[in-house]
Amino acid sequence: MSSRDDTVNGDDTARGTFDRRSFLAATGTVATSAIAGCVGGGGGSGTPTINIITWEHYARDDVQAAVESAVDVNLEITKSTSSADMFSGWQSGQDEQYDIAVPNNNYVPRFAEAGLVEPAPLDDLTNYPDIYEKFKDFTDGQLAVDGTSYGVPIRFGFYGYGYDSRDVPDHEESWSVLFEGVDGVDLQGKVALYDNHFKAMTAAALHLGFHDAFEGDRVTLSQSQLEDVKAALIDQKKSYLSSYIAGDASFVKGIKKGDFHVGHSGRMNLTNMWVDGNDWVKMATPKEGSMSWFEAAVVSKQSEHPDLAWEVVDEYIAPKTGATLAREGHAPSVNPKTSANLSERRNELYGSIDPSRLDGMIPFKAVENEDAWRSAWEEIKTA
Amino acid sequence: MADADATATERSRKGLFDRLIASRRVRLAALLAPSGGLLAALLLAPLSFMVAVSFARVDSAYEIIWQPSAANYAALFDGTPFWTTPFVQSLSLSVVVATATTVVCLVAAYPVAYALARRERGRRIVVFLVLLPFFTMYLVRVYSWYLLFGDGGVLNDVAAVLGFGPVGAFDFGVPAIVVGLAHAQFPYMLLTLYAGIDAVDFDLVDAARDLGASRIEVFRDVLWPLTLPNVVAGSLFVFVPALGAFVAPQFLSGSTVLMVGQLIAGRVDSYNIASASAAATFVVVFVAVAFAVAVRYADMGVSAGGER
Repeated sequence: MSSRDDTVNGDDTARGTFDRRSFLAATGTVATSAIAGCVGGGGGSGTPTINIITWEHYARDDVQAAVESAVDVNLEITKSTSSADMFSGWQSGQDEQYDIAVPNNNYVPRFAEAGLVEPAPLDDLTNYPDIYEKFKDFTDGQLAVDGTSYGVPIRFGFYGYGYDSRDVPDHEESWSVLFEGVDGVDLQGKVALYDNHFKAMTAAALHLGFHDAFEGDRVTLSQSQLEDVKAALIDQKKSYLSSYIAGDASFVKGIKKGDFHVGHSGRMNLTNMWVDGNDWVKMATPKEGSMSWFEAAVVSKQSEHPDLAWEVVDEYIAPKTGATLAREGHAPSVNPKTSANLSERRNELYGSIDPSRLDGMIPFKAVENEDAWRSAWEEIKTA
Repeated sequence: MADADATATERSRKGLFDRLIASRRVRLAALLAPSGGLLAALLLAPLSFMVAVSFARVDSAYEIIWQPSAANYAALFDGTPFWTTPFVQSLSLSVVVATATTVVCLVAAYPVAYALARRERGRRIVVFLVLLPFFTMYLVRVYSWYLLFGDGGVLNDVAAVLGFGPVGAFDFGVPAIVVGLAHAQFPYMLLTLYAGIDAVDFDLVDAARDLGASRIEVFRDVLWPLTLPNVVAGSLFVFVPALGAFVAPQFLSGSTVLMVGQLIAGRVDSYNIASASAAATFVVVFVAVAFAVAVRYADMGVSAGGER
């Protein structure tokens, strides 16, 4: 028999207890609902949430606050350290979890070809018209599939090499320095290359003058060029190589410790060292051209707020928010108007970029026959 | 009546339980179930997945295509001659490094284990000191070796100050890897050897000495055979992790060499998991065969006490 039946049968004590419990339960439920309503009301009353998977600097408090206040949105940011991880995650269902991803440029076509992302409404973005012409070209070219653009560039950087100016004098800046050294300086065993098949092999290809390999949508080395690249890297390993470095931290540790005097490096890495007062390290931009990366935002087809997501993307390249992102990440924005919001020193480091300098940029691209590159790289490492 | 039924049911249940408990097989099964379940979930399941993936392929969108083929295994040896392929080269280097590490550990640990077994004094302190590195993270230990080695490392700086540096052996490379791995694996060898030597009946040693055997002959004919199972066990504890190491080689060679663990990790990093799985499966089989051969050769049935 239930307690309700007891009450109906006229047990006053039981009824009294029931009523008091019911009252407490009801009060508790109402109170909980009211609190939930109040708490949820803030979000439910018009501040939607946009979920983003991107690099660490985008999650810094200043950057996040700048976007949230400008767009009136809550950002939930998941940090990632790899474009490949972003892509594979979205492939396995995370496109429903995230509204925006910010992979490197060469991954945007993969997202598009896999049918994961929305076309970019470039005409609706207020800050897009202000970005460097070079990046508009990239948007129409590398970020497009069948004539439709799917990504919006945010910030960029490029690779060259850094050197310890206390041991290596000024010289003609060329990739050949990593492979043949500098006249009058003993660099045997004092050069570091990235432990990455794409970065190391493209440096070798540029050193060997294989510019034609970089002209299409993909980096394409013929079989004989691939053999030459392999031979150059094996020779370099036997004479000039100190170590293959895993990333920026390895470069900083190695060059400070004196393990090498010249090392393959991105500009952002050296900027970090300059900001920390290590003015003795210098950046060389090779005459043959620099491999460069830029991050491009894409919006998921599964997003419930695609228009708002594109507003968020647009805000990342706004003059003020773009400058904040540049300050936090030490990498320049694709919007030159950000330089007005940076100090003279910061502009020198990562703000104002001469557009002519962008002409030497060779954007990261997918590799034709990547398996052959990887095999060659393993052969180099085991040589 | 209801109470009587309940009592009868209870008795029947108790009887069934007692019969089950009385069965040796059931007791053994109950005892092994938790560890068996754990092994199945954490070892057999991933291992089975790895073997299955090694026969699949991965497309450019990183999706696994389940079309069974031995192509990934063939690719491991696809070279002319086959031993020039990166996989065989890296596996060979790993065997050399793991063997060198094992020999270094054995040579360094045997005398210490002997001393620990023979002398009570200071035993606890030595064992504590040996285990002390375990209280720090493996990565931290490897990083400390990274700071010591290299052209700009502490060892070469000291050598330079003393007037005979820089020394090539202190650069990043195979010697540095062996030192780093030996440091990490040394306690496993020491403790395994200590357990074996401590169980030796030293009356046999004394008897051999009384009969005129030299110290070397006593070691060769008495001590070594009695502790051989522990030598083999300790060697396996050192050899197997050293064979698959990739953190220490990455740091301490400056990535200038490619051991098989690095090769597999690199393939996983580039989402080439089918090829990585084939390489890993081959290494597992290789180690299992080596283990079986070692056990057979060392006649593991003979304990340090001479009992079979």
